[in-house]
Amino acid sequence: MSRIAGSTRRSGFARRTMALALAAAMVIAACSSDAKNTKTSTAETTSASAAGSTAGSTAGSTGGSTTAPSSGAALVIARGMDINSLDPSRAYCDTCQIFMTAVYETLIGLDPKDNTTLEPRLATKWESNTAQTEFTFTLDPKAKFADGTPVTSADVKFSWERLQGLQGSSSYLVSRIKTIDTPDPGTVKVTLSAANSAFLAQVNASYLGIVNAKLATTNGATADPTTDKAEPWFLANSAGSGPFALESYASGSELRLKRNDAYWGAKPAFPEVIIKETPQAVTQRQQLEQGGVDIAMQISSDVAKGMSGPDITVKQVKSFNFVYLALSPGAKGGEKLTPQVREAIRLALDYKGLVEVTVGGAGQSQPSPIPNGFLGTEGLSPPAQNVDKAKQLLSAAGVTSLTLDATYPSLNVYGVDFSTAMQKVQTDLKAVGITLELNPVEIAVWADKIGKDGIPVTMLYFAPDHIDPSQYAQYFGLLPKSQWQTWTKADAVPAETDLLDQAFAAQDLKARGALYTKLANAMIADQIIIPIVNPDLFLASRSDIKGIHYSTCCNLDLSRLTRG
Amino acid sequence: MTAVAIPAFTVQRARPPWLRGPSLIGIISLATWLLVAVTLPLWSPHTPTEVVGGRLLGPSWSHLMGTDALGRDVFIRALYGSRISLPVAAIVIISAVLVGTIVGAAAGFLGGWVDAVLMRAVDITMAFPPILLAMAITASLGPGIRNVLIAMVLVWWPIYARLLRAQVIAVRQREYVDSAVAIGMSRGLILRRYVLPMAYTPVLVNATVDFGQVVLLTASLSFIGLGARPPSPEWGAMIFEGATNFYQWWIAAAPGIAILLVVLAFNFVGDALRDTFDVKDLGR
Repeated sequence: MSRIAGSTRRSGFARRTMALALAAAMVIAACSSDAKNTKTSTAETTSASAAGSTAGSTAGSTGGSTTAPSSGAALVIARGMDINSLDPSRAYCDTCQIFMTAVYETLIGLDPKDNTTLEPRLATKWESNTAQTEFTFTLDPKAKFADGTPVTSADVKFSWERLQGLQGSSSYLVSRIKTIDTPDPGTVKVTLSAANSAFLAQVNASYLGIVNAKLATTNGATADPTTDKAEPWFLANSAGSGPFALESYASGSELRLKRNDAYWGAKPAFPEVIIKETPQAVTQRQQLEQGGVDIAMQISSDVAKGMSGPDITVKQVKSFNFVYLALSPGAKGGEKLTPQVREAIRLALDYKGLVEVTVGGAGQSQPSPIPNGFLGTEGLSPPAQNVDKAKQLLSAAGVTSLTLDATYPSLNVYGVDFSTAMQKVQTDLKAVGITLELNPVEIAVWADKIGKDGIPVTMLYFAPDHIDPSQYAQYFGLLPKSQWQTWTKADAVPAETDLLDQAFAAQDLKARGALYTKLANAMIADQIIIPIVNPDLFLASRSDIKGIHYSTCCNLDLSRLTRG
Repeated sequence: MTAVAIPAFTVQRARPPWLRGPSLIGIISLATWLLVAVTLPLWSPHTPTEVVGGRLLGPSWSHLMGTDALGRDVFIRALYGSRISLPVAAIVIISAVLVGTIVGAAAGFLGGWVDAVLMRAVDITMAFPPILLAMAITASLGPGIRNVLIAMVLVWWPIYARLLRAQVIAVRQREYVDSAVAIGMSRGLILRRYVLPMAYTPVLVNATVDFGQVVLLTASLSFIGLGARPPSPEWGAMIFEGATNFYQWWIAAAPGIAILLVVLAFNFVGDALRDTFDVKDLGR
């Protein structure tokens, strides 16, 4: 869809002609759909219990330096990029996960076959003490950075201390690290400030990728946010040991990765990967059908219907991503969002209708901020609408009519158009006497507003950073200084901190599961985060592209993709 | 002498240009739109935000232009869009004409430094492409129809100021104005009684043509997210929803057709008025 013509006064005829041509083009494009040649594989699921692994001491090795079949030309991917930074200690976004996994390797990987089992990557083995406070990693002596420098324990220490020091969005992953010792270049010994049975899962998070310390410090990287000057350098360069290296990045246009020909592991099949900025699902589909791209990553269920072409495959994949409504009692204008009112809002929502409206039924409702399938979510009751009880709660709270600012980022994520979802929420809440003033804004405007005054009612999305449920408590729970405790300005709930500490300390999987169930229920009781939909992913690609999968920790591992 | 019989014939009065051909179609179209906009709540089976059926249903007898992603009737929403676009266009044009008249009349009648200062302000404003200036103003004020109104008035007034100034300068040199000055009439009275009535025709003609352009610009600003906010059935916002659901062509087609009809109607009428009064486009 092109924009409506402007307002110069002397081009009325041209404008009218363009308007007619536009309408005609739309009709022609819509009529050209033909589903008969599309291969669609539905109901491919990721592991249903992704978060259960406590992966104890494991020994193994990476597969040596074999090379996948060469795939000739570059791999081109269409997706809306939400990149906030390419500095590995600052990056925090869905596209960042793909980038980090391709360029910066973690000590521990994740087996794509089950999305659960941790496997060796830069570390060949790891072990921990019984109390889960000390972890020792043995690095693969073959591992080296793209410039040929060996990956050493000093690099690990630098990378994680910098992540901790810069206090970016992903820094919570290393918040419990007390000291990092490097007894020799091949051994890293991490001591935590408190027990953390999820630490190995956290080490698997793409944001804990290892940076070439010498190269980074030469270009201004430090662990102190007041002296660190490396972020601009990281926009044009990379310093990782992964199968790809950064070639170039043009914000709003494209991200180019080139194969790391000196890669120490199995070399990737594609010499180059280009991620083209393509925010609209419709445009992604068109580019895939016209042969301009190989993979379209953010196709919605509606757009996926009737995709045509003799060599296009669409995979419908269960994911752990979700879109949620967030209520902020501490925000300016959110003072009336008492626990009763928040519960009324939760009960007023038509969850089945939301799944239908947002993703055409290709998704699930999600009871708590811990997604379906993670450890501890097995027994949770699905959310249900109860308008009568919502009205009773509002009446008991003395609220007869309530108008709330609902500023939200104007996004289309995981096939969910936020404007459509918010209009459905608005309709549902209107039925109980709550009026939402919808205000879609650019994500940067949204971030600025929520960081300052807060926003009474808003919508956002989340993709997992790793395979342990602790991340959800750390991000969404009302723990002191958690992301949403900060944004909502709600009072911290000490019981949630205690539960998380207990879960971190628990050795037994069943006991941890029970604790995470309690945490999930506690977060439901907070009524701060209300999941709207857990959408299936539609991964559309040319049929000759192999190895496409959804990774819990890393979104998409580019090194596993081949052509033919 | 033979009487010569003069054949009897009747003189048919030709209809004025603005009541013929395209102009007549435009007038009928506009009258219909106005009627719809005013009376719609009285007979419409649905409100614009009411969910009437399944989502993304194609056109049918039940829903002439199908339903959108939320299951709302697209045809009804497009009709309700006229209750936003037409009043917005009217308010913008009336406000811009008022401001432009005051500035243009002052500049043209008073001349001197007043003229220089006011016309430089006009020049500066008109140096920016209208759509960019409107975008910048709306973005700084914040999204919403009220701010779109403010932005468009700020964009549009210089057109009328420049147009009226030129007309006032031409009229004030006429002898009857000199006579009025000679008998001691006040400047204000001369301006109101003898200058403005003679200078105003081109302004009215241009204002008619500009109605359509304002409808377009309003839709443009809403399309890029600076105008109407959800769930408003404003036409530009509806077309944006259609872009999101591109393969359900009817969602964008309905407001697109509405814009087309309204803008064409205003242009037809405006062109006919221009021909009738032989007005040259002096605005931009």
